[in-house]
Formats: sequence, structure tokens, C-alpha cells
Amino acid sequence: MFFRAVVAEIEKEFKIFFFSARTLFWALALPLGNGLYLYFFYLPFAASSVNLEFNSATFSLDLVGFTLIGQLLYSFFTMMLLAGNTFVREREEGNLEAVLLTPANRMAVLLGGALAGALNYIWLVFGVALSWVVFLNAGVMVTDPLALVLAVVLSYLSLVALGMCFEAFFFHSRRGVMYATALQEPIMFLSGLIFPLQSMPAALLPFSYLLPLTFGLITVRLTLLGGASMLDVALPLSVLAAMVIIFSVLATWLIGHAERSAKQKATLTQF
Amino acid sequence: MADWTCREEREAEGDVDTILRCDKRVLHSLRVIAASTKYNLILSWRFFSLSGFALRFFSPIMTISAAWVLFNLVYHGATSSAFGNAIGTSSYLSFVTVGNAFYVFVFGASFVVGRVMFWERVQGTIEATFMTPMSRLAYMTGVMVSAGINSSVDFVAVFLIGIAFGFQASSFNLPILFLSLLLTAFALFGIGLITNAVTLSFRDRTTTANTLMTVFMVFSGIVCPVELMPQWAQWISTALPLTYGIRLMRASLFGIQNLDATYNLAMLVLLGIVYVGIGAVTLRAIERNLKKKALFSVF
Repeated sequence: MFFRAVVAEIEKEFKIFFFSARTLFWALALPLGNGLYLYFFYLPFAASSVNLEFNSATFSLDLVGFTLIGQLLYSFFTMMLLAGNTFVREREEGNLEAVLLTPANRMAVLLGGALAGALNYIWLVFGVALSWVVFLNAGVMVTDPLALVLAVVLSYLSLVALGMCFEAFFFHSRRGVMYATALQEPIMFLSGLIFPLQSMPAALLPFSYLLPLTFGLITVRLTLLGGASMLDVALPLSVLAAMVIIFSVLATWLIGHAERSAKQKATLTQF
Repeated sequence: MADWTCREEREAEGDVDTILRCDKRVLHSLRVIAASTKYNLILSWRFFSLSGFALRFFSPIMTISAAWVLFNLVYHGATSSAFGNAIGTSSYLSFVTVGNAFYVFVFGASFVVGRVMFWERVQGTIEATFMTPMSRLAYMTGVMVSAGINSSVDFVAVFLIGIAFGFQASSFNLPILFLSLLLTAFALFGIGLITNAVTLSFRDRTTTANTLMTVFMVFSGIVCPVELMPQWAQWISTALPLTYGIRLMRASLFGIQNLDATYNLAMLVLLGIVYVGIGAVTLRAIERNLKKKALFSVF
């Protein structure tokens, strides 16, 4: 029953995604545009590489790859934020009460929405990565494929888990779209997407470390572009694994709380 | 826009009745512009949302902050010589602040125009709007004027934010500054008309307007001089009015000597005429087609 609900939700989201013109913007124009924007940021400095300091070692990363990986992970994060509007959209369409009357597990619905966002993202990865490698010659250096796979999988799962938290939070707050929009710019800045994390002002670093995107960017950039080994990125990988667990538990609690609270106050659809 | 040309033509022909009719048409267009401006200003301030207003500044603050970190903490105040040669000044933070302020103004002004038909349809007023005898261009001009007034608040605010990050203007050429804003707004008005035509034909929500704004943001030289971009990106930027507008505005504030102001002004005028021409013709053709097929509000 749980998995059927997940699959049904994925299928629904998948169809909505491919039959909507908005897809062209969110999955193509925006990521490609933002990626180029980040790349152009560095051109006034005549930089061809970016030094990323981590664990008292300095990795020199190819600039195109640095901005490309940053943009790909950030786009994934944005898609998770958008997936976080599942219940908000159901409410707008007048389906929320019907959805919550079904015996479908709430976590299955959330997971389905988040996984659908993640699956749709695969198209983007292929499109953007291919075009950047062909047109801008992004440099790649992998010495430990297992570390790279783990970095990608854990970044992916931690962002999916965070997306589920957002879904529950947006559902409860009733201002999902505004929060989703408001979160994008600060997270873009804090995660180290635009510049290496060692240059982040010290006062802001604690906020950076709360974001799975920060650790995702470090691990994927280092393993894909800097030739880092499993040992080099063991710490951020552990943090990402911990975040997967914490955010999943938090999402379960949040959605249960939001639903109970809304049912008690009869505010599921009323504002 | 008001029909300013007919009086001169008719005067030459000595047709007094037609001259009066033309005067009435001009006056009517001016009244439509004023009414549309007033209506949109009231609408935007009556439903003013502080959080929505604050959100408008997230993007420029993020961009200027990121530029500040890159300039001061990553590259320790050093830009390439190519950057200095391309723009005639080495003040990177001022360069980015002007680009951002201009983009915010343009975004605020033309994004609203690009979504007029979308909102008319959503609010269920599109058929009533197109049944009125008013000039469509005058109506759109009014929307643009109100959006421009609202955006000027953002424009000034971004400069104030920029000052906190180290923005400094070394000169102030008011005519060039004013012309750059006016002519860019004119050209973007044309793009707004085209966007509305697309919205009407393809039932598009905001995809076209959003995509266009992304193109402007990337290729107009907001964070990097166009001259430093790859060749294919420079080709795209030549078709964007914002490219020339930003150059002129930077020249007006930094006293850049090596900029060919006449060329940039001419390009802005040319692009404005082309885009407004295409936009007006397309919008009229699509309106006629939609009326024939009764497809204004039916999907």
C-alpha cells in the first residue's frame, strides 16, 4: 500500500511535469541561465580555476566544473523546494480534504512528490551537463568512483528528505510559495554555491552548516573535480548521512503534527 | 501609445474635421494612459505586502553580497586588466551595483507589462477590456508608467544597498542617465507587447516572461562586461536593449570616456522601434484572431 501510493504520486507528478509549459522554464531556461550567470561572475577576475580549501588541504577545481556542479545541485534543491508545494497545490485545487481522507500514508504521498521531483531532475542533469561539457569544456578528475557515487547518492537523499520537511512545513504554514521563493536566494549565498566556503564570513558559517546543500556541494565538487578520495570526504559524507536520518524523522513528525492540528481546528482548506 | 502623427498629415491635407477627430483620439489616448496608470498604482498600493516588497530585494542583495565576497575575500580586490580595459574603470562593486539597480528597475517595469494579459484572463476581465474602444497601446503604456513609478523605489533602494557594499559614483551625467532609462523602458515596452501576444496565443502563464527575464539577467552584462563573455553570448547580448542601457548608465555614473554613447543610444532607439513595431502588429493580429475564434477566455 505504501509503495503503491508512492508510485501513484510519482506518476501523477511526472505527468504534470511533462505536460506543463512551465517545465521549459524550471528545467531548462532557469538552470542554464543561472549556471551561466555564476560562470560570468568569475570572468572579471580572469579565473580559470577555483581553490577550495577543505580539511587543511587545498583543491584546485576547474571553474566551469565548479559552477556547473553548483548549479546542478542547486537546481535539484530548487526542485525539492517546488516539490515541497505538493499539499499547497492540492489545497489550491480543492483536493486536499479528499487526499487526506484516503487511507494513503502521508509520508508515501510526500515521498512520492519528492521522488518525482528527483526523477524529473535527471533530464536536467543530462541536458545541462552535456551542454556544458560540450560548449564550455568542463574539466573532470575522478580518482575514487565509490566516493563520487556516495557523494551523489547521499546529497540526493538528504535533499529529498529536506524536501519532505519543507512539504510538511509549507502545508502547516499556508505560505508555502512565499517561503519557497524567499529561501532560494539566502540558501544560494550560504551554501557556497557561488564562491568557495572558506571565503564565507565567519558569522554566517554556522548557518551554512545547517544545509545539506553545503555538504553536497563540497563532496560532489571534491570527488568529481578535485580527485578527492573517500578518506578526504569522510566527514561531510557522514554529516550528509546523518542529515538523511534527521530530516526524514523530522518530516514524519511535522506532517503528522500539521494534519492533526489542521483537523482539530477545521482549517484544512480554510484560511 | 497616443497617435501623434495623424494631425501633421491631416494639416498638410487641410482636412479640418479629421484634424479634430485626431485631436480627440490623442486626448482619448492620454486619458487612457492616465486612467490605466492610476488604476494600476491604486491596485499595487492597496494590496501592498511588506513581505512581497522585501522579497524583491533578495536577488540584488544576494548578487551584490556575492560580488563583495568574490572581490574582497576570494580575489582580494584584484580584477583582471581585461575588465578594466572593457569598462574603463576598475571599481567592480560599483559596476555590479549599477547593473543590478538597472536590472531591478527593468524587471519591475517590464515584467509587469509582460503579464498584463495573463492577469486580465485570470481576473476574468479580458473580454471586457478588449470590448472597450480604448487604444491597447495606451492601456499598456499606462501599465508601464505605473510599473516604472513603482520600480523607481526599487531602483533607488538598490543603490542605497550598494553604498553599504562600497558603491561610489565618480560622475553624474543626468541627461545620459535619464535617456538610458527612458529608451530602455521604451524598447522593453515593445518586448512586453510581444510577450503579451505570446501569452494570449499559447495560453502561457508566465513562462515566456520568466524566460526573457533570465535571458536579460545573464546576457546583459550585469555582473560581467559583455566584452569578456564568449562570442556566442555577445551575439545574444546585441539583441537586448538592456545591454546598451546598462552601458550608458554606467557611463553616466562613472564618467567613462571610451564609450561610444551615440552608438549605444542609436541602438536603443533602433531596438525600441523594432520591438514596439513587432509587438503592436502581433498583438493586434492576435486580438483579431482570438475574437474571430471566440477564444479570449475559453481554453
